[in-house]
Amino acid sequence: MNDSQIWVTLLKRSAVVISMFIAFFPIYWLIATSFKPFDEWASWPPIWLTDNPTLQNYRIVFFPEAAREFAAAQQGSLDYKVSGSAWKAFQDSAIISTLATFFSVVFGTLAAYSMVRFRTGGDNYPFQFLTVRMMPPIAVVVPIVALFSVLRLSDTYFGLTLAYTAFTLPFSIWMIRSFIEEIPSELEGAAMVHGMGQFRAFLTVTLPLIKGGVLSTALFIFILNWSEFLFALVLTAGNVITVTLQVANYVSASSGKLYGVQAAMGTVSTLPVILFGYIIQRHLVRGLTFGAIKR
Amino acid sequence: MTDRSRDGLRPSLDQPRRGFMPRFNIALVLPAQLTMMAVVIVPTLIILWLAITDWQPTQAIPWYDATPVWFWNFYDLWYDERFVNAVGRTLFVVGVCVALELGLALGLALLFLDEWPWRRVAVSIIILPMMIIPVDAANAFFMLFNERGPINHMISLVIGAPFEFSWLSHPTWAMAPIMMAEVWQWTPLMFLLVLTGLMNLPQNQVRAAIVLGASPVRIFFKVMLPLLAPVISIALLIRSIETFKIFDPVYILTRGQPGGSTETISMFMYNGAFVYFRMGYIAAAALLVLVVVISVCLVLARPMTKHS
Repeated sequence: MNDSQIWVTLLKRSAVVISMFIAFFPIYWLIATSFKPFDEWASWPPIWLTDNPTLQNYRIVFFPEAAREFAAAQQGSLDYKVSGSAWKAFQDSAIISTLATFFSVVFGTLAAYSMVRFRTGGDNYPFQFLTVRMMPPIAVVVPIVALFSVLRLSDTYFGLTLAYTAFTLPFSIWMIRSFIEEIPSELEGAAMVHGMGQFRAFLTVTLPLIKGGVLSTALFIFILNWSEFLFALVLTAGNVITVTLQVANYVSASSGKLYGVQAAMGTVSTLPVILFGYIIQRHLVRGLTFGAIKR
Repeated sequence: MTDRSRDGLRPSLDQPRRGFMPRFNIALVLPAQLTMMAVVIVPTLIILWLAITDWQPTQAIPWYDATPVWFWNFYDLWYDERFVNAVGRTLFVVGVCVALELGLALGLALLFLDEWPWRRVAVSIIILPMMIIPVDAANAFFMLFNERGPINHMISLVIGAPFEFSWLSHPTWAMAPIMMAEVWQWTPLMFLLVLTGLMNLPQNQVRAAIVLGASPVRIFFKVMLPLLAPVISIALLIRSIETFKIFDPVYILTRGQPGGSTETISMFMYNGAFVYFRMGYIAAAALLVLVVVISVCLVLARPMTKHS
């Protein structure tokens, strides 16, 4: 290696380090702020790493007594949206995301199987589902609100689950379709020669072969459901609350700035999603491109 | 639909009929299809009605009894400066953000072509932004661009004077943090796509070009980029569609304030429907957007099937 090559390599590695810094810095700031005591939240100059780390912000998120104590000591009162604990948000998000993921993956697998092996609806049929992902959700939200008000589905677990299932179906259908396509149908044919029914052949031969793919699809869809914000914002009114909604409530708390608390809520709420994201890292590209690009 | 699907049966699966109900394949797509009907197709039909009414939930009339105003909503939209501006702003955001994401992603991917220790770790850290909840990413940028946040602090350190600019309440500059949050979060996805494409390139053509003595810059533009075109077009298509819908960062950072100067289409429609309660009017806007988006997408989505 001559001198100029060393310089080029050095330059390239420094560019990588700078990119890593930029990618990580906002997350660092979120975590660092979540450990700051009240008087350091908005001090000038800002404190980059606190000398007095505290768990107070996390306590305010999870324990209503801590929130009341904080309100009494610092600001007089907290508004009703942030004075409760965030447990309810985590619980509701977990219920809705899990249910919607389950329905989306089961419905998606059945539909994908039918589309691949029977060419149900012809070659353009899968596109009908893809179109849904292309339309801005805000455009269908207005009529969904109108429809849900008639069906009394607003602000219910079922309503939100239904919306999440529909809007993740394109992902589950297209991803699982791409997995099924990789398994030759002759394998199922062989099982059927031995007297197995067609659908049983799919369940016992093909499904075990793609179970890793289906599981990644499920995790991927869980991430989408957990991160969803717009539907949660519009289709709920206090009875059901998701983690993203709770983050927004802290950000816009009318009782004043709650930087430390919103950072704590932000950090905790995003942890499961980061974990799942890295578990399915190999399949992320396939998921986000609807199976168009495979590794 | 029904007849063709039965013909589509693969020959190898056709003989043993045991356990096969007629129209079984249709039954299999029903759950998915019915869910779509309930949440997408029926609401789309409701839009067609709402768009020609002036329905407002505050009038205490159910939406199906609203008074029709026929095409006045569309007439008003055409002359609604706020709507027209929101459309222009959204297209601007899509253009700038997606272009930036692609440029940065290409540059980044080139740094990762050769093997070196810690390469995988570096990739994992660089893709961290796309893993976090968009609302939380916006939350982080909300704090970064605070009057007393680290961005202003860094600028003060550089210029050597106190700098307490309030980004989010400035009509011109409030868009910057929103777009930066978007680019920060989604460049990693573009990077992953481009990197996947680069790793899958047929190496022979690149090697041949090296043997023939082409410069690295020429190889990049004349050999690699054309080979990457399918992957890049899919990446651009998907990112453009997603950026067009941009809502979460706008809601968290500004809600379209100050004075509507950061309203994108989604934010405009949210404010119209759920702050001013002009549901009929916003349904008209929604119909317009849906028609345009779907027709554009149906034309553009073709390359996706070809590539796979």
